[in-house]
Amino acid sequence: MPCEMAGDTLDFLSLGASLERQELESPGGVATPTVYCQLLAVYLLQKDLNNAKYLWKRIPQAIKNANPELVAIWAVGKKMWQRDFPAIYTSLSAFQWSAEVKQIMAAVAESVRSRACDLVAQAYSSISAEDLAAFLGMSVDEAVKAVVERGWQADPQTRMVTPKKPAPAAVPPRESSQHLQQFTDLVAFLEN
Amino acid sequence: MASPLEQFVNQVRALSSSGNLRELCDLINKSGDILQKNAPNLDTALGALDIQEHSLGVLAILCVKFTISPLPDFEGLFSQVELFIAACNGEQIRFATDSFANLCHQFSHALVERKMSIRGINPLCHAIQKVQLHPAQLTSVHGDLCQLCLLSKCMKPALPFLDTDITDISKESGAFDTKHFLSYYYYGGMIYTALKNYDRALYFFEVAVTTPAMAVSHIMLESYKKYVLVSLILHGKVLQLPKYTSQVVTRFIKPLSQAYHDLVTAYNTNNPQELRSMVDKHRDVFQRENTYGLVKQCLASIYKKNIQRLTKTFLTLSLADMANRVQLSGPKEAEKYVLEMIEDGEIYATIDQKEGMVNFRDNPEKYDNPAMLQYLDEEMKKCMGLDEQLRKMDQEIAVNPQYVQKSMGIQDDDLGGSSMGSKMSGYNL
Amino acid sequence: MPLPVQSMLFQPPVEPMQIDAPPEENDNQPELAFVVESCSLDLESYAAQYTGLARLERLVFIADHCPPLKVEALRMALHYVQRTYNVHLYQQVHRKLQEAASSGVVANMPDAVAGLTLGVPPYDTDWVETTAKKAALKLEKLDTDLKNYKGNSIKESIRRGHDDLGDHYLDCGDLSNALKCYSRARDYCTSAKHVVNMCLNVIKVSILLQNWPHVLSYVNKAEATPEIAEKGERDSQSQSVITKLKCAAGLAELATKKYKASAKYFLQASFDHCDFPDMLSPSNVAIYGGLCALATFDRQELQKNVISSSSFKQFLELEPQLRDIILKFSESKYASCLKQLEEIKDHLLLDMYLSPHINSLYTMIRNRALTQYFSPYMSADMRKMAAAFNTTLAALEDELMQLILDGQIQARIDSHNKILYARDVDQRSTTFEKALGMGKAYQRRTKALILRSAMLKNQIHVKSPPHDSSSGGEASIAPGTNASNR
Repeated sequence: MPCEMAGDTLDFLSLGASLERQELESPGGVATPTVYCQLLAVYLLQKDLNNAKYLWKRIPQAIKNANPELVAIWAVGKKMWQRDFPAIYTSLSAFQWSAEVKQIMAAVAESVRSRACDLVAQAYSSISAEDLAAFLGMSVDEAVKAVVERGWQADPQTRMVTPKKPAPAAVPPRESSQHLQQFTDLVAFLEN
Repeated sequence: MASPLEQFVNQVRALSSSGNLRELCDLINKSGDILQKNAPNLDTALGALDIQEHSLGVLAILCVKFTISPLPDFEGLFSQVELFIAACNGEQIRFATDSFANLCHQFSHALVERKMSIRGINPLCHAIQKVQLHPAQLTSVHGDLCQLCLLSKCMKPALPFLDTDITDISKESGAFDTKHFLSYYYYGGMIYTALKNYDRALYFFEVAVTTPAMAVSHIMLESYKKYVLVSLILHGKVLQLPKYTSQVVTRFIKPLSQAYHDLVTAYNTNNPQELRSMVDKHRDVFQRENTYGLVKQCLASIYKKNIQRLTKTFLTLSLADMANRVQLSGPKEAEKYVLEMIEDGEIYATIDQKEGMVNFRDNPEKYDNPAMLQYLDEEMKKCMGLDEQLRKMDQEIAVNPQYVQKSMGIQDDDLGGSSMGSKMSGYNL
Repeated sequence: MPLPVQSMLFQPPVEPMQIDAPPEENDNQPELAFVVESCSLDLESYAAQYTGLARLERLVFIADHCPPLKVEALRMALHYVQRTYNVHLYQQVHRKLQEAASSGVVANMPDAVAGLTLGVPPYDTDWVETTAKKAALKLEKLDTDLKNYKGNSIKESIRRGHDDLGDHYLDCGDLSNALKCYSRARDYCTSAKHVVNMCLNVIKVSILLQNWPHVLSYVNKAEATPEIAEKGERDSQSQSVITKLKCAAGLAELATKKYKASAKYFLQASFDHCDFPDMLSPSNVAIYGGLCALATFDRQELQKNVISSSSFKQFLELEPQLRDIILKFSESKYASCLKQLEEIKDHLLLDMYLSPHINSLYTMIRNRALTQYFSPYMSADMRKMAAAFNTTLAALEDELMQLILDGQIQARIDSHNKILYARDVDQRSTTFEKALGMGKAYQRRTKALILRSAMLKNQIHVKSPPHDSSSGGEASIAPGTNASNR
């Protein structure tokens, strides 16, 4: 489940920026449905729900009516807004995504799941297997299996799962010369 | 054979190529009437001018074109302006910042009227970058851009501008009005509010509310109401305004915002029920003044504030007890709130479903890791940078001849009788 | 978020008078309506401690709040008021008494009291008429006397004349005229003694008028006279003046909720010189001072200034229950202390000056007890704590929560195990946190200042609307800014 998609996310980021540009440069101020779909999906991937919401609000009604996919993407967004994890998974799998957004939506699904997993690890000291499965959008057995692989404890008796706290991301220590420079600046500042 | 319009075109070309821009500006200022009278032929004149080489001439003609009412061909004009802003010569137009700003105002006004705000965003971004001397300079076009962004619900493009702290204001030959300043900070605050960057929104509203004032401006009044609401959402109380806030605020603006003050009083009871009934009581006012959305967020925030209070007093608490204490429907809803707040970093806690308890923790940050060190360094750098800036400003003032003269003069006639403050206020650039 | 396009319109000037009336906190809360059902107060001896209006007001207050004592209190008041010229009060008390007698209150009364009430004295028309006449005659005489004195311009006589007139007004219950007369005497004072006397008179009336700032300022005035300000040997008379002033100030501070200041004043009273039945009784001093001290003093202060104070000890002898309470408190026997406090509550509620403050004083005392109880511990079992405070776990949790939020107790509650843990503050982290916070605040303030300086340079300000209506609401740019920005 820990997804290695940093590279992809970066690509989607630059895709987002280019889509934003395209929207603003669209003749008459109205972009193509594909631009809207992709941009909306990218915002969801970036968990930028505010901008997703305003994008949805500014898309002309006619385009919304003619493009069920757009509506389906926003349905996911709405559930993300409400942080209703089971419903997010349902709405994600309820639509046959077109080639233009398929990859992005897959990445959204992946990121939601990993976010849910991190959240459970951070927020619970014990959680019922059912609730865990709902967070992860899997069957109870699958969910328990997946987290046990990550080193979490599952008690078959009480059906409670004890998550393992995520290790803090390691930040590489900085060069000491850089440190020294900073320190010199600071002392010089304080002395003046 | 030379009509006045042709003469104008020729003069523009001549002065532009000789680089005599000051004279060119004078010419343009005097040519308003001629252009007005030849309105139907302006496109011909435009055709004879090059956007890059004769930017000032083109600017003058475009400005006049906006005064024709009704506009005969908006789409044509739109493309002309768009092209002009993209291609004009920055050095030239900075000789006529007032006309250039005026063109932008007209342009955005026309777009707002036609409900096409989004189309102006790109051109105005370019326009600001062209006319600014540096990114921290505020122009009167900033406010237009923010307005377009808000109206089109496309707010991201304004952020690079809003995120830059202003240190300087473009005079635009005296055409920069307080109205432009206020609308920039008001609309900017609204954009930040919409994007839930409440801290920055509060700062923007504060700037608007503390603008020196001899009278009540509607923008200030609206900013004040939003200042109150955002402050509640962010801090759970209304932060005091700085000492330099003008008297107008206490005397007139506060009495005009009674419904909001009632809301604050109700909020201070920490009782969601009381807040809710106050919201209901003034619902009409909030709906009429378009603040109902924010008011509802205040209502939501009071639950979170109460939960945060619990974290200060409890190490462990059952979800049922918590629901009871903060007036939520039950343990399930309490769990949902706690979960959201944990995810947003608003509290430090863990939920124990087995026992149905919440454990509250202190901030796990121990200030002992490289990331924190780096953050500290950055913060210190920012403070040092600001300090440097202040020092420079102080120096500028100290060597300004007018200031020196004035402060010497004061020392002559009135030894030490006057404070620094009065010297400063007597001093204007 | 729909946003109307706004232009800068100027608000028409708001009515100027509004400016000068900032919304003020309403200090005068409506009198609390409460009823004390049973009370062991011995009215006879209670009333005997006071004279004049002080006695009457206290009796009427008890009548208003304690149904079982109502009739008796009113009868005593009625009887006493006939010794004065206060016709108006007589009528008022009589009306109340009649109402009380005719209402069901009588039926519920214990037998002993009921016996006394069998006959409500009839309305004494003769007394009312003759007294009113006598009062008018006396007033006339005093007035003429004063005019004569003024004609002769003998200062001392004029001063006395004013004082006599003031006394008479007071006797008639006309407080505002009494105050006027006493105040007028001021201009004819020829010695420090006279000034002190004038102050005492004004204080007496101001207390009855409940004008507390006035009381305090005249206390200060009196204390500033050489007579009082002088240290050293004091005769018994000036001692009693000082005690009276301290008590008046204490009362004023109590009434304005400054309990600590109030306690400090009362503690300075001298027991041997505490004789002013027209204002307070020595037991009042004991109770007001003792309770306020208990509510606001820390352990050391309480020990040093109350328990070990030889002079205040004498006061406390008059109120042995309160003395026990204070001792129990200092011995950390909170349960019995609070229990006894609860027992005397009804009695205290019938005191007209203390009554409005009882609840807040009790809460303060209780909070102080809770805080002191916990102060030596790292962790405390809340079950034991609840037992020590005669309360339930849930109620204790609520109380503690409030105290923690107010910052009075540095602790956190483990509600699961019902243990209160002293808060372990990590100084290092707090310092970092504070430093970062200050950095942020500095940045914000400085940015705002830099911006503000740019605003001032560019004369950004909202201008007054032009007063001649011809130019409309347009804000014109100030002249003198024509320089281009190049």
